[in-house]
Amino acid sequence: MKTVRDTGLLFHRYIVQMLRNPVWLVVGFSTPILYLVLFTPLLKSLPGVRGFPTGGVLQIFLPGILALLAFASGSSAGFGTIFELQSGLIERLRVTPASRFAILFGPLLSGLVTMTVFDAVVVAVGVGFGFHVHWAGLAVLTVLLWLLATLMGAFSTATALVTKEISAFAAVINGINLPILLLAGVLLPISLGPLWLRVLAHLNPLYYLVVAARSLAVGHIATAVVWQAFAVLVPLCVVVLAWATRVFRRAVA
Amino acid sequence: MDSIITTHELKKSFRSPRGSVDAVRGVSFDVARGEIFGFLGPNGAGKTTTLRMLTTLLPIDGGTAVVAGCDVAHRPKAVRARIGYVSQLGGADAMATGAENLVLQGRLYGGDLATVKARAEALMEILDLAEFAHRKVKTYSGGQRRRLDVALGIIHEPEVLFLDEPSTGLDPQNRANLWDHVRALRDRGTTIFLTTHYLEEADALCDRLVIMDHGEIVVEGTPRDLKRQVAGESVVLSLRDADGAGERASALLGAQPYVRELSDEGDQVRLYVEDGGEALPQILRLLDAEHIGVRSMHLSEPTLDDVFLRQTGRSLRDAGSGTGDEGRAA
Repeated sequence: MKTVRDTGLLFHRYIVQMLRNPVWLVVGFSTPILYLVLFTPLLKSLPGVRGFPTGGVLQIFLPGILALLAFASGSSAGFGTIFELQSGLIERLRVTPASRFAILFGPLLSGLVTMTVFDAVVVAVGVGFGFHVHWAGLAVLTVLLWLLATLMGAFSTATALVTKEISAFAAVINGINLPILLLAGVLLPISLGPLWLRVLAHLNPLYYLVVAARSLAVGHIATAVVWQAFAVLVPLCVVVLAWATRVFRRAVA
Repeated sequence: MDSIITTHELKKSFRSPRGSVDAVRGVSFDVARGEIFGFLGPNGAGKTTTLRMLTTLLPIDGGTAVVAGCDVAHRPKAVRARIGYVSQLGGADAMATGAENLVLQGRLYGGDLATVKARAEALMEILDLAEFAHRKVKTYSGGQRRRLDVALGIIHEPEVLFLDEPSTGLDPQNRANLWDHVRALRDRGTTIFLTTHYLEEADALCDRLVIMDHGEIVVEGTPRDLKRQVAGESVVLSLRDADGAGERASALLGAQPYVRELSDEGDQVRLYVEDGGEALPQILRLLDAEHIGVRSMHLSEPTLDDVFLRQTGRSLRDAGSGTGDEGRAA
């Protein structure tokens, strides 16, 4: 109960702060739109190529963009944490009796809300380009995206608390992000690649989400890939949240 | 003594690439309810580390600490509910208004909205912040911001308020203003625990203090008692540098019966004498006879720096060019 209340209080703080910083919002909105407008035209000739899944180009590409958004929104959470460490805010919060989980999850929750709004805009613009909406599939996909953003957000926040300064944090996060994104087939399906790449991708949690997202985007919900995505993301999310809460509980800062 | 903080053999060491560093080496002290208690020492002495252990921010490696009736290691949550803490950085949210900061803080301590709002308003009135209550913190001056930090630390009416280097970065006027507020807080019943490396601050503000150096308590007492230990007054002689004037003067003056203690600091000689007024003419006559040129000479009441110097053999002003980031590593 107290955890819920504290999470609500901190969520409110972060949401208000985000709305007070419109520049950040504009940048956040423009990135996915740029992908849609400037990258989609390159894909027009791909259907029919061996390994390319059936279905419209946007049914393949747009779920990838949504996955990318969730991944990026989560993994950038730690930049804010570094700033708050250096301004003393984290320490100020840690010395109050506020729930440690709430101190971690309050900001992540505000990130989830913003991300969901971005997602809605991306889908709306996508529809303009010819994306076909399958509502049930989209709803399940939204849950998967929340899981991913929470997982990455908790990981990024805890990494920030451990590294404590911006250069070390950026090195770790950037070093991890690129291989994960490339090995997930966010922009182009991994199925286009050679066998070794396809095998390697199975070690990457994000890969499962991207494959499931493409299945859900064409309305296939009760499929093995969707279950696999949940089976990978739910336990991972629980473990990383527990670890990050522990990092908050122990001495950092 | 009705103690609100009691520590026994408190210890903390940090691992560093060059091995283990003992930041706090067995510190024991008591703070009485309702007093302003200070930790004075150079940077790196272990003051902040001790304070961070008492405020539950750092795990305790050895020994025990009881704050407001609760054991810090075993009941950190209970301790948090009873204490307020203002770090060196403050930690106010620059993009939010002062009032918003206070309301969030009060609610995180479990207060309901109406109570917290009323309390925030009253505090901003007391701390001369009322007219800035609804401005964003980023527009505050250094002094206003520091007062807001203090307000954040006492929004829940804690029994003990911890202040870490409270006046760092403040100009003299704002510093004096902050001291007034801290004293007023003490007069309303809050116990204050503060760390400082400013002699003047420890002297002017603290009811009792300990001097800390290299992770250990060097001496403890009221500022008055501590200064009284350094007998008499001190005379500081600045000499014209001519063929070992300092050494010759030291040898000469050290042999005089009215000189209790003497330290040769290069072209300066510091003497401790019983009665400065009586000693000054004698010293001048003596040096004149030996043709030792005196550039200047002044008499001063003992300061806490004299106490530190006596206990550690170093001046607090020169000591601890240390790491400056004590307590950051964890």
